[in-house]
Amino acid sequence: MSNWIDDNDGVYVAGIGMHAYQFPSDTPYTHLGLAAVRGALADAGLAWPQVQSAYVGTTSIGMAAGRVMFRHLGATGLAVTQVENASASGSFAFRQACMEVARGVSDVVLAVGVDKHGDGRRAADKEGLARLSDTATVPAVKFAMMARTYLRERGADAQAMAKVAVKNHGNASRNPYAQFRKPRTLEQVLGSPRVAGDLTVQQCCPRGEGAAAAILVSGRALRRLGLDAARCVRVRASAACSETPETSYGAAAVDLVRASAGAALAQAAIPASRLDLLELHDAFSVEELLYSEAVGVCEPGEGAAFLQRGDSQIGGRCAINASGGLIGMGHPLGPTGIGQIAEITRQLRGEASGRQHEGANWGMAHMIGLGSVAIAHVLSRGTA
Amino acid sequence: MTNELRGLQPQHPTLYQLAPDGASLEFLFAQCAACGKLAFPANVPGCSHCGDPLSNAKKVARPGGGKLLEFVTLHVPLLPGMEVPRIAADILIEDGIIEEGVMAGSDESCLRVGMALCAVAVALPGGETFACRFVPAEGAAR
Repeated sequence: MSNWIDDNDGVYVAGIGMHAYQFPSDTPYTHLGLAAVRGALADAGLAWPQVQSAYVGTTSIGMAAGRVMFRHLGATGLAVTQVENASASGSFAFRQACMEVARGVSDVVLAVGVDKHGDGRRAADKEGLARLSDTATVPAVKFAMMARTYLRERGADAQAMAKVAVKNHGNASRNPYAQFRKPRTLEQVLGSPRVAGDLTVQQCCPRGEGAAAAILVSGRALRRLGLDAARCVRVRASAACSETPETSYGAAAVDLVRASAGAALAQAAIPASRLDLLELHDAFSVEELLYSEAVGVCEPGEGAAFLQRGDSQIGGRCAINASGGLIGMGHPLGPTGIGQIAEITRQLRGEASGRQHEGANWGMAHMIGLGSVAIAHVLSRGTA
Repeated sequence: MTNELRGLQPQHPTLYQLAPDGASLEFLFAQCAACGKLAFPANVPGCSHCGDPLSNAKKVARPGGGKLLEFVTLHVPLLPGMEVPRIAADILIEDGIIEEGVMAGSDESCLRVGMALCAVAVALPGGETFACRFVPAEGAAR
């Protein structure tokens, strides 16, 4: 079966760059974004004038964030497109870049996510429809309900969920780009202030700011530009979808993850069991348990047991959120999805010093965003 | 109490109105002329079932309430000015229509998943409007 992403001799991540995620500060967004872009250029061994097009994922900075930032790199006249899709803004910017390269429109494209902590304004609050509850569009409430249902239906206790946060804070403590860099014990996670239902504050992602960048090249450009093929990671699939009527109460998010991840795995022509790495949307701890089942790295109902056995740890069967995830690494929105791509790229190259998942060949970056939308990318070592 | 509520306006008049008993609420739906299904609230710009623009939809009032699907206590103010603790609940208010509602009171012990709920009017500070809160149907004043 043909795969559109291979049409231009393949799409490769040639360079990655980051500005560490951090708590809200007075640092201008341009400083955050430029650090990531310059890092990605240096990592790829490319110069700014070689970049033909750029996609900017952001939610809270305002109109035309890209051009304002890019002029400090030199006014090359490249095409600039801003992408907003809530938590998945960066992921969708990356997808746009993939499509542009795959279709042969450009051979060298930048995807950058950059954000500052904003006011969280949502389109859902502007659709002119009142709601019975003013928290109806607040994600923490929705996921607290999902957590309560999960615990009751599985006969699990709050510890099962809290262990996600313990793992991910531990991974983040070894990630120099993470917003939280302290390991947390189960007692600390469970003892932190409660937010909603059974979710405590250390099981919820922080808001913050930061930037992440990836430079994509075609297979043709990879050779023409003499890039280091051994450090280029291949994009094998890009799949996106939005919410459909849920199959049962509370299943909408899980249905969405299952559909998008399944489509990406089909495109990449691998089963979920081949994934060595999975970065996913753990804005709230229960999500990792649910989505690890939905993606298929463990059996339905096995999410908590998969974690308990250490199968989702770095060094386990499939390292889930080796970066620290949204809970530990942070969730500045615009950059988050591209930060996932950067983490998987680093891991597949064998360059994730201090948190390396050895022998990794395949990884998936999965995000969901308000609305709800979902997106999945599958990446592999260039030789996999 | 009932007389006091009759003089107040609904906080969200597109969602509900005071029932004839002067204490409980009626929810306002649009009945799609194309597929016959209900949409909530009545002023939605399209039927989520079939996509009809609902321009010829009939406005339908039904007793406010439903089946409790899930509930959690909110421990911190997630919105400016929000009072906590508060219990948020997912409620099946009609076939295929699930809405988040606010329970009256903050004691979870009287709630269980699957129980029937009734929507009642609760006067808001200021004495001009009432809001929708949910209570267990058993024992609710109707």
